[in-house]
Amino acid sequence: MAERVFITGLGMITAIGDNVAENLRSLRAQKSGLDFTRQLDTIYKEVLPVAEVKHTSPALSEMAGVAGKEGYTRTTLLGLIAMQEALRHAGLSNLEDETTGFINASTVGGMCDTENVYFDIADPTKTGDFDKYIDTLDCADCTQQIADVVGISGPITTISTACSSSANALMYGARLIKAGLVRRVICGGTEALTRFTLNGFNSLKNVDKRPCRPFDNDRNGLNLGEGAAYLVLESESLVKERNATVLATLNGYANTNEAFHPTAPSPEGDGAYAAMKTAMEMGGCTPADIQYVNVHGTATLSNDVAEGMALQRLFGDDVPKFSSTKPFTGHALAAAGGIEAIYAVLAISHQIIFPNLHFKDKMQELYITPETQLLEQYPVRHVLSNSFGFGGNNASLLISKYEG
Amino acid sequence: MKGKCYIQGLAAITPQHTFEGDLSQPMVVTRGNMLSCVEPDYRSFIAPNSLRRMTRVLRMGLTASLKCLQDSGIAIPGAIVTGTGKGSLQDTERFIKEIRDYEERALNPTPFIQSTYNAVNGLIALQQKCTRYNNTFVHRGFSFEHALLDSMLLLHEGTSDVLAGAFDEITPEHFFIKGRIGHWKKETVSNDALYEHVSPGTISGEGAVFFLLAPTATAQSYAQIGGLEMLYKPSPEKLKTALPQFLQQHGLQAADIDLVLSGANADSNHAHYYQVLNDCTQCPQLPFKHLSGDYETAGAFALWLAAQMLKQQQIPSQWFPMLQQQPARLRNILIYNHFFGEQHTFMLVQAV
Repeated sequence: MAERVFITGLGMITAIGDNVAENLRSLRAQKSGLDFTRQLDTIYKEVLPVAEVKHTSPALSEMAGVAGKEGYTRTTLLGLIAMQEALRHAGLSNLEDETTGFINASTVGGMCDTENVYFDIADPTKTGDFDKYIDTLDCADCTQQIADVVGISGPITTISTACSSSANALMYGARLIKAGLVRRVICGGTEALTRFTLNGFNSLKNVDKRPCRPFDNDRNGLNLGEGAAYLVLESESLVKERNATVLATLNGYANTNEAFHPTAPSPEGDGAYAAMKTAMEMGGCTPADIQYVNVHGTATLSNDVAEGMALQRLFGDDVPKFSSTKPFTGHALAAAGGIEAIYAVLAISHQIIFPNLHFKDKMQELYITPETQLLEQYPVRHVLSNSFGFGGNNASLLISKYEG
Repeated sequence: MKGKCYIQGLAAITPQHTFEGDLSQPMVVTRGNMLSCVEPDYRSFIAPNSLRRMTRVLRMGLTASLKCLQDSGIAIPGAIVTGTGKGSLQDTERFIKEIRDYEERALNPTPFIQSTYNAVNGLIALQQKCTRYNNTFVHRGFSFEHALLDSMLLLHEGTSDVLAGAFDEITPEHFFIKGRIGHWKKETVSNDALYEHVSPGTISGEGAVFFLLAPTATAQSYAQIGGLEMLYKPSPEKLKTALPQFLQQHGLQAADIDLVLSGANADSNHAHYYQVLNDCTQCPQLPFKHLSGDYETAGAFALWLAAQMLKQQQIPSQWFPMLQQQPARLRNILIYNHFFGEQHTFMLVQAV
């Protein structure tokens, strides 16, 4: 019998807070992180709102304890800050006692920094101080930099499945534990805003000029965000051995594919439906057991129809409370799954449901509407967390209350 | 982790004539430190209107995966898992340039979409209508190997079969960029003479290689993947104990290994790691990077070679002129590869 997988530490940084406690405070205060960028050099500076972490990269270096050292991209720095908090939170000061893995997620690696020097790097007539960025062109750089700073030497890799990347990282980490290959693995993702990605989504006409409105009839696209989030996963036996505090269990998960279109889900939400259903069943839950769904809810026209249809198909007339927290954090792509998995843990440990900001009118295609109020003292035992991406990639996680 | 993993089908697009699976083809010799794939005729695999939109690595990746499925006789695999170090470089380069050239206005989204690392996975799923598990690893010299580990986990968990593969391309621009940080040799070499030029750096390459993996052997099986181990930046001591341990874990002694495929690439900066092979094995060691060049997912090509050799019980001597004598038997092949000294991998590939 495979071991259960427990969540024992959380760490994050987003536009609404530099750590988990600040995130929770902003969620409770219903304070959105959306604003215009101060860090990004783009013509959309005062046109497209983004959820940016409110620190310059040098300030992030200080927070990460690597001030003055070279070669850390903003992607790495965000990740490092979240990683250090996760380790502290789990009470891990020394990773040498137990093989510890790191499954990271990234969509464009160090693009945030490399896009500013790329044409110099690629130009044979140019020489200069930019060679240090060459290694940061890929997705592995941030993972290794973070691992090297905190001393992780166990299984290490990076997953990139667009917007579902860190949900897949959590799933893979949990499976490594269940297979008995490792007893502790830290999973999540990191993402910094880039001109590359902003223009990518904008060229797809997927970015709203207003703060995004998930599940609203008048929604018109997403807002990008940045941040990083990591969860410490440990096997039941390790948790017992070291008497660690269990925050929640990663009780079920599933990854399915739409096989429909490179960037759009099937209108009936087939992939989302299958992912949620499989994750739920893996955790031994029926639809009636789920109290909250933290939806992918990007506020793009197609996502919210597909995901909403999937919710209606799965839950029928008794759709549980659901909300998208992307109006708070923006869509932080590779970090989104990790950020929202932490919110799921917070929903359970604080018995709270987060509001779906900016919602006004029910979508024509659906009979359901998201939760718009902050609900405190709401009994939450099982949460589904959805992350869907390009390439038809759907991931759903079932996070459950630890009850011994 | 219990359970077995057999290669039931494979396909490779590489700088050699590998696509038809014919090991008797002559070695393709390239002068210039950048090996490029011998590309097949894609039209028998991809519809013309789709083909027109796809950039090179998407074509290579999709075609190699479809050929692999054909070879295995399975249309819809239970999962699709890939590894790539760089994804579609052509699309990434194009989108960066278009952002600059058009000053962020009226951009065509296609290169952005295709630059996504899991674009090939999405295409395979779409073309084969595969709605199951789909994942992409993007971690340099561990990209393919984690795809393989994920596949082995899936088989262990009960998935009937997995399409696992890797793809990477090199472009002139990226070749230049990586040259700035010393990846390639300064002197121009010919790949057939690679090992005569031991100096800093190596030669670059690319490839798209796919496998269909299943938990039970059949007459069709090429080989069994008996073991897989990854070591991140190991110390020399760690490496030295890890290899004999790896063999021991799989019930083998040095004498049981009939052939080593080594990632040795004539790069004097990182050559010392391969010394461990001399200490821990007694059989012939064949390097393979003169055939493929070096790139993040070259390990997939090594696995393709090993599987083919085990199935055919023969080493293609025109590809390996350094081989003095065909081994009497080929039962266990050990692959040891590392990517610029950071990601080290052992694979044990066994005859069925």
